[in-house]
Amino acid sequence: MSALAHIDDWTGGDTTVAEIDRRLGDLRRSVEQEGVPDLRTSVLTHLAWVPPEYEQAATDTLAGLAERHPSRAILLVPEPEAETDGLDAEISVRCFSLPGLEAHVCSEVIELRLRGKRAVAPASIVSPLLIADLPVFIRWRGRPDFGSGPFEQLVELVDRLVVDSGEWADLPAAYAQLASLFDRVAASDIAWSRSLEWRRQLAGLWPGIASARRLTVAGPRADALLLTGWLRSRLERELELELEERPELERLAVDGAAVETPAGSRRSASDLLSAELEQFTRDPVYEQAVLACADVQPISA
Amino acid sequence: MATTTRATPEHDGKEANPLLEGLRLRRTPEPCALVIFGASGDLTKRKLFPALYSLALRRLLPESFAILGVARSESTTEEFRSRMEEAVREFGRDRFDEEAWERLAGGINYVATDFADEGGLDAVRDCLTELDESRGTRGNRVYYLATPPNAIGILVQQIGERRGASGWTRLIVEKPFGRDLTSARELNAKISEFFVEDEVFRIDHYLGKETVQNMLALRFANGIFEPVWNRQFINHVQISVAESIGVGSRASFYEETGAIRDIFQNHLLQLVALTAMEPPIDFTADSVRNEKVKVLRSLHTPGPKSVVRGQYGPGFVEGIEVPGYRDEEGVAPDSETETYMAAKLYVDNWRWADTPFYVRTGKRLPRRETTIAIEFNRAPHPPFEEMARGGLRPNVLLVHIQPDEGVSLEIGAKVPGQGMSIQTVHMDFLYGGAFRTALPEAYERLILDAMLGDATLFTRTDEVEEQWALVDAIVATWRRDRPSFPNYAAGTSGPSSADDLVGRDGRAWRRP
Ligand SMILES: NC(=O)c1ccc[n+]([C@@H]2O[C@H](COP(=O)([O-])OP(=O)(O)OC[C@H]3O[C@@H](n4cnc5c(N)ncnc54)[C@H](OP(=O)(O)O)[C@@H]3O)[C@@H](O)[C@H]2O)c1
Repeated sequence: MSALAHIDDWTGGDTTVAEIDRRLGDLRRSVEQEGVPDLRTSVLTHLAWVPPEYEQAATDTLAGLAERHPSRAILLVPEPEAETDGLDAEISVRCFSLPGLEAHVCSEVIELRLRGKRAVAPASIVSPLLIADLPVFIRWRGRPDFGSGPFEQLVELVDRLVVDSGEWADLPAAYAQLASLFDRVAASDIAWSRSLEWRRQLAGLWPGIASARRLTVAGPRADALLLTGWLRSRLERELELELEERPELERLAVDGAAVETPAGSRRSASDLLSAELEQFTRDPVYEQAVLACADVQPISA
Repeated sequence: MATTTRATPEHDGKEANPLLEGLRLRRTPEPCALVIFGASGDLTKRKLFPALYSLALRRLLPESFAILGVARSESTTEEFRSRMEEAVREFGRDRFDEEAWERLAGGINYVATDFADEGGLDAVRDCLTELDESRGTRGNRVYYLATPPNAIGILVQQIGERRGASGWTRLIVEKPFGRDLTSARELNAKISEFFVEDEVFRIDHYLGKETVQNMLALRFANGIFEPVWNRQFINHVQISVAESIGVGSRASFYEETGAIRDIFQNHLLQLVALTAMEPPIDFTADSVRNEKVKVLRSLHTPGPKSVVRGQYGPGFVEGIEVPGYRDEEGVAPDSETETYMAAKLYVDNWRWADTPFYVRTGKRLPRRETTIAIEFNRAPHPPFEEMARGGLRPNVLLVHIQPDEGVSLEIGAKVPGQGMSIQTVHMDFLYGGAFRTALPEAYERLILDAMLGDATLFTRTDEVEEQWALVDAIVATWRRDRPSFPNYAAGTSGPSSADDLVGRDGRAWRRP
């Protein structure tokens, strides 16, 4: 549909925020001189907290996202254990051509490596780089270290926190910690969005499902817990979870009766994140599901 | 896990289903059958099926759904399906996805019949009854009348007489809706014998365009425009619907219609109504249409001097030599059909008194473009008049309906450097730029809305009748004299009398 027209970039080791800002301006001006007008459209600033083990996944997701959410993306790669302190940056302006549009539409990607002590106060690095007045989303890769300095600062800064609880090992315990944030930041969870079509299927079982006692899930632990929490909170009844762990949601049954598999293809990581970036308000149904699943004890199938 | 439980649709539950909270992100219509009359025609192929496919791809169609194509041409269901598949591949805006197509195609059927025949629709009724069984469409019907206008009266009668006892019925009627006030009234009367207004969806596909709806968002979701949206601040409004194409293969239709019935009566007047209307109290169908119809009622009939008509002669469009209208195939060599019209309209109400709305539409203009330009009054006492490059220009808010969908504001800015030199620059908001999702086609939105029973984006009886009343008044003055056609060359911006129309007021058309 749209095609990448050009990328212009700059890389700097041991740099400063002021330098990054100036280089970004330079890049924008240099691409504008190439004849076709370039537009920087501003919808939101997208932050990503990306521990090194998630770097590849984050870059891939972002590549699939850039053309849908033209905005500034800032990737923060914390390396607190690094031997030296410093800030390394790679910045690029990516311009796409769109059918029926004479101008190119550009988005900016800033990748920052926070070495040593520079990983301690990330919000102070990011704040000057946010686009004024636009909403700020953060995709937190992996399990946040709830209560830690960097996490707390960034949560203060953003309008929305996007996690994937499927990346967390200590479930359901971690949900209680997540729930403690709900009054401070709108939270959303990729694991929750992934189960959307299954939730529609379950909703279709009303009113029979009102008296359900057991949910059986072959799928990821996070998705299973959230579905159980959702049913518990919506139906206002205890419901037990029988879990067979699988990398993806494969099967669901209510009191032993299989639920029809939803039709349609699975959404990619970029699709899922993209959908989250279109939500601007709190999701009370999700929040209640999280609260209700914090004490679910899955029995193995 | 022995039995498989099948999901049943939402409205079966007696108590409200708590699981649906937060899940209704998508509006999907209830089970229904869509009957397309005119299924072998051009509209079905170029617009309706591509739109249906795009809806299917996004899973916006009802779970239980069927399409029944009806026309005279003999064809089997199989042949019809494969012709529509080709159409979707050729005209669709989305990539072709086998699975999505199969899902849609499974519910497609075709019946060949002449609906002018007595009992011609019995086969249609029987097929629909059968589909209620096999596809679970529950007696719910959407009839899409994509036929030549002369077939509509008889179709309405035939469908009306065969209305079933169960389920709901909706009728989508294509434009043109009549050819003057009398025929539109007759048609409305015929329709109201069998259907109530809530069941009737008169298409003006312009209203299905995102950018047209954005006019309402722009005006009523922003605090800064409405205070200046009136005669005190706005000098005048220009609305242009320009096409670069000629009459093409639609000559026989166009000879009867002309620019005034093809574009002015519906699209242009709707754009005027959306630009000039008062804020509706909410976004329900009747609130919005109540406000639009008030504008249409306040339009006073322009005198002969305030209307210009034109017809193109030979010329060049995009460097290619093209014939004049009278030389086109199917056009009478002495045709007096107008391919261009412009008018100065006044909305006689408190907000707009004395503020002209200049509207124009034409074929074979230099480029295809639909815009609404709101020109504001000049700054009252600019201290740097003489420093302005090319003169200080007034601010213009430009709403681009197509192409380059978006909004731009022209403002004067200081040229960098010494002194105080001013130049006009554009501040642009481009749809594609901000949202990066391709805009849905108007027909997708409209078909879906009709299935959902939402008539906000369709024209109501009283709107259509007001629009025709104005057209009739203009056409009546045209009958009195013979135009000297052709009066503009293809590829130019219209007859010189159109320039005089605005020139007399000390204004000029914007470049199309
Ligand atoms: N084409 C467009 O882009 C477009 C745009 C806006 C509005 N419209 C409106 O949409 C309507 C249809 O336009 P179109 O271009 O698709 O027309 P078209 O190509 O001429 O098709 C007319 C259709 O009506 C059928 N038909 C006519 N009389 C019939 C009868 N007595 N019994 C059964 N079927 C009959 C024809 O079937 P057979 O030929 O098989 O008999 C054909 O399928 C018109 O009102 C037009 O103004 C069209």
